[in-house]
Amino acid sequence: MKASQTVPLSRSPRSFRSKRLLVGLLLCLAPASLTFAEQPLNEAFFTQKVFPILQDNCFKCHSHASGKNKGGLLLDSLPAMLEGGETGPALVVGKPAESLLLKLIRSKDTETQMPPKGDRLSEDSIKILESWIQEGAFWPKTAQSSLLPNGPSKRAPGGITEDDRKWWAFVPVQEPEIPAPATSATGNHPIDRFIDARLLAEDLEPAPEAEKRVLIRRVTQAVTGLPPTPAEIEAFLSNNTPEAYDQLVDRLLESPRYGERMARLWMDLVRYADSDGYRVDDYRPTAWRYRDYLIQAFNANKPYDRFVQEQLAGDELFPGDPQALTATGYLRMWIYEYNNRDARGQWETILNDVTDTTADVFMGLGMQCARCHDHKFDPILQKDYFALQSFFAGILPRQDRPAATPVERENYHWKLAKWEEKTFPILKKIAAIEDPHRARAEKEAVTKFPDDIQEMIRKAPEQRTPLETQLAALAWRQVEYEWERLERRIKGEQREELSRLHRELAQFDSIRPAPLPPILSVTDVGSVAPVTKIPKKGTEVGPAFPTVMGNEFPAPPAAIYPPEQGFSTGRRASLAMWLTRPENPLTARVFVNRIWQMHFRQGIASFASDFGKLGEPPSHPELLDWLASQFVKDGWDIKQLHRRILTSAAYRRSSNHPNLEAGLKKDPTNRLLWRAQPIRLEAEQIRDSIFFVSGELKEDRGGAGVPFTDPKRSVYTRIMRNGRDPLTDAFDAPLWFASASSRDVTTTPIQSLLLINSPFMLQRSKAFAERVLHSTPGNRSLPIAQKITSAYQLAYGRPPSPEELRSAEKFIQRQVQIGTGNSAALSHRGFIPEKIPFRDGQGALFEPGGTSGFKAKDSIGINAKDGFTVEAFILPRTVADTAALRTIVGKWNGNYSTPGWRLGITGQKSRRTPMVIALQTVGLKQDGKLAEVPFFSGLRIQMNKPYFVSAAINYADQNGPGSVTFSVKDLSNDDEPLLVDTIPCDIYGIPDNKFPVTLGSQSGTSPDSFHGVLDDVRFSEGVLPTAMQLLQSENANPATKGFWRFESKPDIMADLSGNGHNLEAPEDLRAIPKAEVVNGNADIRNAFAAFCHALFNSSEFLYTE
Amino acid sequence: MNDPRCLKFEPRHSRRDFLFQSGVGLGAVALQSLLQPAHAAALTSPLQAKTPPKPARAKNVIFLFMEGGPSHMDLFDPKPLLNQLAGKPMPESFGSVITAMGESKSPILGSKRTWKQHGQSGLWISDWLPHTAQCADDLAVIRSCKADGINHSAGVCQMNTGSILGGRPSLGSWVSYGLGTENNDLPAFVVMQDSQTSVVNGPRNWASGFMPAVYQGVRMHGGSEPIPYLNTPDSVSAEQQSSKIEFIRDLNQRYADKFADRTDLAARLNSYELAFRMQSEAPSAVDLHKESEATKKLYGIDRPETASMGKLCLLARRMVEKGVRFVQIYHGAGSKWDAHKGIEKNHSELCRAMDLPVAALLRDLKSRGMLDDTLVVWGGEFGRTPMSEKGDGRDHNPTGFTMWMAGGGVKGGQCIGSTDDLGLRAVDTPLHVHDLHATILWLLGLDNMDLVFKYKGRPERPTLNEGEAYTKIAT
Repeated sequence: MKASQTVPLSRSPRSFRSKRLLVGLLLCLAPASLTFAEQPLNEAFFTQKVFPILQDNCFKCHSHASGKNKGGLLLDSLPAMLEGGETGPALVVGKPAESLLLKLIRSKDTETQMPPKGDRLSEDSIKILESWIQEGAFWPKTAQSSLLPNGPSKRAPGGITEDDRKWWAFVPVQEPEIPAPATSATGNHPIDRFIDARLLAEDLEPAPEAEKRVLIRRVTQAVTGLPPTPAEIEAFLSNNTPEAYDQLVDRLLESPRYGERMARLWMDLVRYADSDGYRVDDYRPTAWRYRDYLIQAFNANKPYDRFVQEQLAGDELFPGDPQALTATGYLRMWIYEYNNRDARGQWETILNDVTDTTADVFMGLGMQCARCHDHKFDPILQKDYFALQSFFAGILPRQDRPAATPVERENYHWKLAKWEEKTFPILKKIAAIEDPHRARAEKEAVTKFPDDIQEMIRKAPEQRTPLETQLAALAWRQVEYEWERLERRIKGEQREELSRLHRELAQFDSIRPAPLPPILSVTDVGSVAPVTKIPKKGTEVGPAFPTVMGNEFPAPPAAIYPPEQGFSTGRRASLAMWLTRPENPLTARVFVNRIWQMHFRQGIASFASDFGKLGEPPSHPELLDWLASQFVKDGWDIKQLHRRILTSAAYRRSSNHPNLEAGLKKDPTNRLLWRAQPIRLEAEQIRDSIFFVSGELKEDRGGAGVPFTDPKRSVYTRIMRNGRDPLTDAFDAPLWFASASSRDVTTTPIQSLLLINSPFMLQRSKAFAERVLHSTPGNRSLPIAQKITSAYQLAYGRPPSPEELRSAEKFIQRQVQIGTGNSAALSHRGFIPEKIPFRDGQGALFEPGGTSGFKAKDSIGINAKDGFTVEAFILPRTVADTAALRTIVGKWNGNYSTPGWRLGITGQKSRRTPMVIALQTVGLKQDGKLAEVPFFSGLRIQMNKPYFVSAAINYADQNGPGSVTFSVKDLSNDDEPLLVDTIPCDIYGIPDNKFPVTLGSQSGTSPDSFHGVLDDVRFSEGVLPTAMQLLQSENANPATKGFWRFESKPDIMADLSGNGHNLEAPEDLRAIPKAEVVNGNADIRNAFAAFCHALFNSSEFLYTE
Repeated sequence: MNDPRCLKFEPRHSRRDFLFQSGVGLGAVALQSLLQPAHAAALTSPLQAKTPPKPARAKNVIFLFMEGGPSHMDLFDPKPLLNQLAGKPMPESFGSVITAMGESKSPILGSKRTWKQHGQSGLWISDWLPHTAQCADDLAVIRSCKADGINHSAGVCQMNTGSILGGRPSLGSWVSYGLGTENNDLPAFVVMQDSQTSVVNGPRNWASGFMPAVYQGVRMHGGSEPIPYLNTPDSVSAEQQSSKIEFIRDLNQRYADKFADRTDLAARLNSYELAFRMQSEAPSAVDLHKESEATKKLYGIDRPETASMGKLCLLARRMVEKGVRFVQIYHGAGSKWDAHKGIEKNHSELCRAMDLPVAALLRDLKSRGMLDDTLVVWGGEFGRTPMSEKGDGRDHNPTGFTMWMAGGGVKGGQCIGSTDDLGLRAVDTPLHVHDLHATILWLLGLDNMDLVFKYKGRPERPTLNEGEAYTKIAT
């Protein structure tokens, strides 16, 4: 793009209008309707001959009117033709033979010919174009203006006009004068002075202040994401001092829950997730430290400028500061495909993603349009896009830099060296076994890449260019992926030897230093960054700030100060410092508008991440500027910003209005804030409030993400991009693949079904009911009215009206009369449904140290001559930290003198191999005596991953030993094969016993019970061939003796083999708790739970007013 | 300054979209709803059926997704050169490609298929698909499809959402957004699959991306609980449930009355009614008992190898009959078509499971006169390589593969485009995923450039501002 080709077209709106009319004629009516005699001959030639050809054949893909400029080319104005596209100027005036336009029209090459599809241009048409170009390519001004975007500020390709620079978002923030109070009712709060002035001007009456009960619920949800407790409400209601509300706001902003709520907002913006996002959707075990950083930063009220600097360039600006390094996790939130061999393509995608997100989050500019072409509406050039990208061109993703100070790091390495010295002989032996496997794994991984990438990996590091270093590092992660799975490759004696060595190594654990907190971070690849080029065009672009935000054209290079030590380019530091200069017109405006949107659910500027021309202009531009200027003046103080907004009368208005219709008529969307509005809670607020009100919320702060079934706040749940929490999913949580700046509010029947029928909601309601019923111990005889009032207080923050109370009482009575439903429900006690990722339907959740398992009715014979096969889908959460085997399925009582078997996962301290699938048996040896014989597979299980597992035993006989064949398949990864391990079997049979087949435990005992989710479990006679295994064929077949799927149809406990071995709930859970029986109020408890369930389903619970 | 084109909303539903996007800007219909509270919810249903802005040939879509990537040169795109070069390296003239498993230099794998021309049109179809072959004259076989993702995740994501990266709405969501649905008691966009194994990327393939959740696809199962949480839990009796619902209605009505201008609160009331209409409607939609034995036999439901896909194809026909707009069936869910090794066995079995039911679907639709306005699309996320992998398999190939369309205004018995002599790259009339999507939309009377959803203030289009409908498919 050349500066000389910016053609500012200044035209007044008036003259434009008349021309548009003319063009309308020109475009819509037949050109022949114009009287050519009245016009210069060459203009007539153009309008009659040339224009129709261009219009019919070219504009579809190359015009403002079509919104397309394929190949970066526009053909709807002469300057655009001269500027050309990716392959150069389209036209050389006077030289048809040299004009690309004609060359391509004439081309016979189907790859390049134009138009690409449809009929070729006629020879006549070509001649017309030829002579037009030959004669000077005259393009009448009338025709030209018509085709450009409407409005006074027309930008020729590649240019920026003065009008562009005057767009409200790009002009410096002016601190406006605060208007005088609009009416006597307007207080001193500056926000209200701005807002009331507008209301007065529009003749709108503001609503009165909301009731105190409404206010405390509204502001507590807004600041902390949870409802207020009844005690907090009482305290606020009884505080009649004028400062009561301000004190409430202060208290909330000091609550640690504030940081949790704010972090959630920021996590949407940076598309935070704990997983990779592609097929494997691998868990990122250390991503959460960035989430905890956010929470801490907001709670500590870290100034926003510093917060921005740390995330973009913490490593460059604050080296040695573990917090700042953790903050660079911002640059690691992109999705990642673990097996993509197109390393260049993936790296390009990552850089584009970082560029798009940064423009959205920090600048409020939607720049991604400019990746392929100059932005169609906003003054953002393609060059600006890549100039922004080049600030990130030097980044190198790092996993190896822990969040620790230099002193901590030094300490750690000193201790580690000591440990290595002591353990050197063991480490050496381990390496001797592992190294050949490592080398083979490396070779396999590397050779899957294209030749050029392989070459980069093989080069000596110091010989790689910066780009080669980046690509080699990206590719190398695939080698590391294989290395993490090295155990799969090591078998037999080597495996046993390795286990032995690891046990030996463990004896030195006391002197082994605890690892430093691992984080996802970035640094630069060095002091030189790879060159950034505009794709296809190949133009080199260096770091520069968007052209429209400076006064020069083209934009001058950004001033960069590389750190002296030479470890970094200094580019990101430069961007961060530029963004956080007080005079940057975007940074403060964008952020204060986000906080405004958080509290009012609509921003002063309506699109929080796009201040460009497609958004509406701000509703209160002066107020926005005033807030932005105060924010910077306050030292980018975020809590102060909240305080300012929340204490305004505008925020405190009632959602009701004495004269609603008048308001709705004038300002139906409430842009001018004449009242408040009921607001639906966001997905996480809903989930957290449910747990909070049911009394189950565990407010442990920080740490690795937990499954979404755990009652921790949603911000701490593990966010798997492909395995979403159905509840938050139904309530419009974003997908977290790209930056999201606002939440949808939809109402669907799917939501209602989930709220009313899901086991999750039934469980919460039951807990809520128990909480209320138990809330006054020793006083169970309190009238039900008090219990109802108490539930209302918890759920709605208010007591019921007499009518509501009556209606609730009536409902509870009715529920009691109807009585308990299906008696089958009782047998389902102890069953907690949960879904295994990558599987449909539901499985059974087993809590740690939990139950004695589900027992199949009637003993199933196991002494099948040809052995048996057991299979299951599992999601293990933990294994025993001892050697104990956790049982998946078994038929045994744990006694070594009783025959039996069980399939399970070995514990951490297993004498053979920890965390593998194993089959423990007590069977007949050759001498006919019973003996305990365990079979350990070499198939390692990772926690929190979904697997298919199976074991098939084929007994030894006179012909020789039999075999035990284990299979394991990682369901989360299609590219992982079904792993099979077969070991010889020296038992001759397992005599039948009287014990039932038990799922999730061995008969009668519970310490070895499974922790995690068990889905379909199948027990079959004989050794099933692979094709008949559950993984491939999910039906019962003649060999199936027992088949349990935990689906509610036909029944959760049903045996689908047709043999009637239905499951029975564990005895310890089957019995009705004694208290209920004694008090004889089981029906009331159920009825009250139904009432609580209804409250959870109600709009009032899901909204704040 | 705004190009009106970039902001071109379907005017008929712009207001509702705004409501559902912002959730707070509800004043637009406020006065109306004050006057007619009973109609408020109906007014705001974003899935209300809409007239397509352009002439439509198809009303509904059934997308048969062969997940994992079927081998085009073993099914629809015969390449004699494959067998001539079998065992030899690919000639350099074909250029180099990056393959998923890195065996781009492995020798060519011959095809063991026998080929015949079928129907009046003489379309080439291999012996793996004897039943589909009998419907040759209904198929428009597109041999020149192109996609961008070399792995399943990216490929499946793109074939659904247009982008290899996640986060965008599925094609079915765009269609629901553009056309709404004829049956409010069933989801507008239904997804079914042939096993319990998760489809690559899981539910986000049918997610509504940046659009409101109301447009997302709903996974339906056969059996008695076709939609998650559809059934009253076992521990709750029918009487208890209905008394509870009545009580919830009271609570919600009281709250909605307090804010009478708020249509979303009225919509919440309505959503419970809708949920319970679904409760009665959905099981009957999936109840195959009333289908005749002959129909079941036609679909192969009586045979173990075809039963699973047969049920899904029959369900798809029933859904469309009931007005569901977009039905997607995943066959081989969990990348089962992904024949990196042993393609003979893998494809033989999958073809046997799929071929008869798919042909039955086409015949059944035709005999009921439904094929005229039901578009059936068949294909995977990509095809497979001419090069071998692990000796007897084929790797992923997004640079040239086959899909077919039938019904819905598509002219049958035609073959569109071609690949090179080895089936590696699309050569003639290449149709990128964006073009395919644009074509599907065009057949439905939607223009891929005019169907705009404004997100973050920016106009978003189903084909990412690219793609062009291949309108010749209808002639």
